[in-house]
Amino acid sequence: MAGAAFLLGMAVTAAFALTSLALYHHNESHLLRLRARQVGSVLTAAVPAIQTTLASAAALADATGGDAEKFRAFMAPYAGPGRQFASASLWPVKASKPAPTVVVGAAPVLASLPRQARALFARARHSRLLNTTGILGSARPSVGFAFSTPGGEHRFAVYAENPLPKDRRSALAGNSAFSDLNYALFLGRSRNPKNLLVTSLHRFPIEGRQASTVVPFGASAFTLVVTPRGPLGGTFFADLPWIIVIVGALISLAAAAMTDRLARRRQHAEQLTGVLDRVAAENHQLYTEQRGIAQTLQHALLPDALPEIDGLRVGARYLPAASGIDVGGDWYDVVAIDDRRALLVLGDVSGHGLHAATTMALLRHATLAYAAEERHPAAVLTKLSDFVNSGSHDYFATMLCALIDADARRVTIASAGHMAPLLIEGDDSRYLDLDANVPIGVERVLDYEETTVSVAPGSTLVAFTDGLVERRGEVLDAGLARLRSAATGKQLTRDDLLATLTRDVATDDHQDDTAIVVIQWQA
Amino acid sequence: MAGVDEDEVAQIVVDTSFDAAGTPIVSVSGELDSSNAASLEAAVAPLAAAHAARLVFDLSALRFMDSAGIAVLLGVAAKVQTVQLREPSDAVRRVIELTGLTGVLPIES
Repeated sequence: MAGAAFLLGMAVTAAFALTSLALYHHNESHLLRLRARQVGSVLTAAVPAIQTTLASAAALADATGGDAEKFRAFMAPYAGPGRQFASASLWPVKASKPAPTVVVGAAPVLASLPRQARALFARARHSRLLNTTGILGSARPSVGFAFSTPGGEHRFAVYAENPLPKDRRSALAGNSAFSDLNYALFLGRSRNPKNLLVTSLHRFPIEGRQASTVVPFGASAFTLVVTPRGPLGGTFFADLPWIIVIVGALISLAAAAMTDRLARRRQHAEQLTGVLDRVAAENHQLYTEQRGIAQTLQHALLPDALPEIDGLRVGARYLPAASGIDVGGDWYDVVAIDDRRALLVLGDVSGHGLHAATTMALLRHATLAYAAEERHPAAVLTKLSDFVNSGSHDYFATMLCALIDADARRVTIASAGHMAPLLIEGDDSRYLDLDANVPIGVERVLDYEETTVSVAPGSTLVAFTDGLVERRGEVLDAGLARLRSAATGKQLTRDDLLATLTRDVATDDHQDDTAIVVIQWQA
Repeated sequence: MAGVDEDEVAQIVVDTSFDAAGTPIVSVSGELDSSNAASLEAAVAPLAAAHAARLVFDLSALRFMDSAGIAVLLGVAAKVQTVQLREPSDAVRRVIELTGLTGVLPIES
């Protein structure tokens, strides 16, 4: 990902840089052509200054018949060392052997080149413009300008000459308007190296970006070639492609780094999600295991089997809370006293967890011990209360203790703060009316009371813990009514009744453990 | 995960004030069960130790109470001479009644 982001960034950068570079080159070439034309204009502008001087001198010579003194006087300000021309001379144009009659300043080199002089003055005679000649093969290379007043009666030509710089090389002054250029100036309309007049360049042929222009110069012409010494549009534009490349590369690197970071974060997030999923799965497994352990313990504390007693059908269910890992404190026992009677014990220790479970185990075994010596449920509870309140503790337990007589169809029952069981007789049912004595563990009770109830054949007693009827947001009586309604009028067998109660009354989200014991007398 | 989500903690708010006679009035609102009974126990333990004569639980805003809540009230009742319940809701009152505790945890008249 990071690599892709970097490559994409670099591709965009390259596109921008190349575009910028192309624009830069286009711009520089355009600027250079403009500069060449400007230089040409400056050169052309020099023509009148030369031509006017020479033309004036020619007119004077014609008017004075080539008067040497007058010519000398006129040209003295223009010719000589440090002046406009190094040399100025007056030449009779019709002489068979051209030679100057008057010379101001240095001796003209042209004087030693009669053929070139004759050709020059021949051109001058037929031209109304300044003529230029280059004396380039000479030991003293020079450039010369000639002007002759047109017309057959004029006999003189004025010639001015300037030496070319050593090696034809002359840099433009640093403060010149053209200091940003190198140049080469050729005489004529081509850039023939033999006609090179002056240049700032050291090497030929001229390489790189260049612009050339032909500059009219009187009757003659110069060819000017310029090359940039640096970027004409300013260094910023020259540097722009590089700036783009560098900035682009940095941006690409940043993008790559960011992409890398995002990718790492995503990877990290995915890893984290994986870890969380794993932890959740482990938690779930742990929860399931602990819940399993809790239920195993719970069942271990409950009776393995219920007694078989003639005339009675006994059934029980233990429903762990829909969720949670705590062991509940609910328990039940049905023990046979003899072949006709059974003792039912059902209890609920407050709270959950191992503490409640161990308390439950303690109470269960204590109860069974007392039941072995006492036949009266109230006496069992009283002894238990005495036993429990002999030490300090922080729990309490509600309990039912009932003696079930199969033959006599009778139940003797005592409650320690526990909800009374439901008695179903035919299509009718009722909760037994019991004295709700205080739970075990609250205070020592010396006189738990018991109630004896006779039941019709086929009656059913349903004892339960509060998980079966207790719901948030309603009074307990509503749950009791619901239980009664579910259990009544259907002549349910023991097993069907347990199934119905389990299904209808114990909701899927019941939050408390629930124990149910059903005792059914034979019809 | 199911077990974690469903293992919700019921909310109670415990607020203690004192009447003119200096009797602490512990107002318990919300739903009191095994998930939060310990917090009520911690809140009332110093009161039970310091004001041994009488303590009132104002249960007018308590919507639900299970055996764990009863255990806390009983624990206070064991230390304080007189514990009374003020204006318990029907749901709470019936739990007290059905558990046979109206004598130990009397409702204020």
